[in-house]
Amino acid sequence: MKPVIETRQLGRFYGEGDTLVRALHQVDLQIEPGEFTAIVGPSGSGKSTLLQLMGGLDNPDEGTVLLKEKAISEMSGRELSDFRRDHIGFIFQAYNLIPVLSAAENCEYIMLLQGIPAAERKARVYAMLEQVGLKGKEQRLPNQLSGGQQQRVAVARAMVSRPDIILADEPTANLDSQTGMDLLDMMHELNRQQGMTFVFSTHDPKIMERASRLIHIEDGRVIGEQRRDEG
Amino acid sequence: MNLIFKLALRNIARNKRRTALTVLLISMTLALLIFSDGYMKAMSDVMIRSATRLYPGDAQIHQVGYRAEYDAELPVNSPDALLEKLQSHPLVQSYTVRTMDFGMVSSTANNLSVQVVGIRAESEAQVSKLKQSIVAGRYLSDDDAETQILIGTRLAEELEAKPGDRLVVSLNNYETQEIEQRLFRVTGIFKMNSKFFDEGLVFIQLPLAQQMLGLGSAIHEIAFNFQQETLSGDKSLAIWRELSIANNLAEGWKTLMPELASMIGMFDYSMFIVGGILFVVAILGVVNAMFMSIYERTYEFGVILAIGTRRLTIFKLIMTEGLMLCLVSLVIGAVIGTVAVLWVAHMGIDYGDMDFSGVALAEVLRPELRWQQFTELPFAVFLMTMLASVYPAIHAARIVPAKALHRSL
Repeated sequence: MKPVIETRQLGRFYGEGDTLVRALHQVDLQIEPGEFTAIVGPSGSGKSTLLQLMGGLDNPDEGTVLLKEKAISEMSGRELSDFRRDHIGFIFQAYNLIPVLSAAENCEYIMLLQGIPAAERKARVYAMLEQVGLKGKEQRLPNQLSGGQQQRVAVARAMVSRPDIILADEPTANLDSQTGMDLLDMMHELNRQQGMTFVFSTHDPKIMERASRLIHIEDGRVIGEQRRDEG
Repeated sequence: MNLIFKLALRNIARNKRRTALTVLLISMTLALLIFSDGYMKAMSDVMIRSATRLYPGDAQIHQVGYRAEYDAELPVNSPDALLEKLQSHPLVQSYTVRTMDFGMVSSTANNLSVQVVGIRAESEAQVSKLKQSIVAGRYLSDDDAETQILIGTRLAEELEAKPGDRLVVSLNNYETQEIEQRLFRVTGIFKMNSKFFDEGLVFIQLPLAQQMLGLGSAIHEIAFNFQQETLSGDKSLAIWRELSIANNLAEGWKTLMPELASMIGMFDYSMFIVGGILFVVAILGVVNAMFMSIYERTYEFGVILAIGTRRLTIFKLIMTEGLMLCLVSLVIGAVIGTVAVLWVAHMGIDYGDMDFSGVALAEVLRPELRWQQFTELPFAVFLMTMLASVYPAIHAARIVPAKALHRSL
């Protein structure tokens, strides 16, 4: 099976000379379709940097990121934007909804960029919001929703455009344990039902318990990996 | 509704105070420009009218060379033919003739050098504001015409003369080459709010002046006004050629009063400088407001870039926000500017006795509205706002998602 994302000898440095910090060093990874992968490691180990590079949000200093077998470095800015729009969903730690758009509009945003017809957009948005338990709250602005509800909208937004992979940076970090658990169950269910690929960066043991694959990272290096048949 | 338009509209409505301040800044810039233009235009028109219609006239005809030394032996050639042309010319509103020479005026208190102007009382009143400027006594009339003289307020003070007092005027008679002296009684005292006029001119009846100067029926100057005063500045008119005959020269106020023409020209520079300063302040204000808005939303831009928004879309979004602010501001600014101009025009600005470079404003100044204030000026403010939006828009479009999202992903 062809990997959705592949990194080869990936390196990212900050600073220079004596103050040079290797945030990532020679990371080789392949994320295959349908995985529910957790990248785990202590704070400052390079998890977020790795996700940024995998999603094309930053440029590596060394090595290559291949998105669906195409090197990011070979893509123009516009191609990369379009690639992210069409193939990658992002879930951020701090919900990160567009505050002036309603829950439905936030979900609709990417599909608008994709040029999907209005009727289809509306149907998909309402179905997705119902799936994440937000039926009846479609027209609420982010500040009219709880933290857990906002993160559900963020998940819905990431998934509604049917990307090949969802990159999530500590998605449960700002949620209470029950809300975090519910959200995790929901994402796990979507992964099982729709075969959508998830990659998390996390410290959360509950995510680690459910992950089909654990990638351990420390000081910018992959130090180990575990695979399970079922997370 | 278009996505960019919708986002821009909601973002503008998001921080109402900042939006209101930005709109206020842009609209006040336009309002000030409209008012300044209306004020400068009115000032320029009033100065021209004051300088020309107070006494000299919109244009004058002299024999070539006369104005170099005001040589009284260089009278206007063929005056009757010229007066006939003026009488029938469609552009000409009124005209008069004058003699002029330097002489002495004496009272019991003082002797002073003045310019003695011989005028036809009736036609002079059609061209200049001499008759309206009388503040004591009366204007020239047919009664006792040979002893009538008008003097200015400053001259009256120096001569310690009042209406009815006797004055002696001495002029050189060019026929006899003798000094001609006549006794006059002050008929009226005029005030034109100009030191030169109020101190240096006296007016007597034309036939008497011609007699004292020994000129026969000769005159030194034909002064005339156009139907529209603005025509006097148009050097391309055929009338200049038509009247510059028989070694005479017809000239408008721009040639007759080059210092005034330069000063009026300075108004354009003043407007340019005022506009420039307003533009710089407004540009900085708009750039600042746009950047504040962008910095507040850096994280958001990081998010929307991360989820696949093209940089060009971000650029368009910021430019659209600038455009919306601009359009609202232009409407408000035009309304404020119009109200300000109309209100001040209604109240009027009276500069009283103040003079500007020797030109006393003979009228109350009332700012004017004109179409350029609602076309050129708003367009300039529009360009300014869009220009001020470009840099913040480029900045926003160049945000690196990874840096913007530093707090999270």
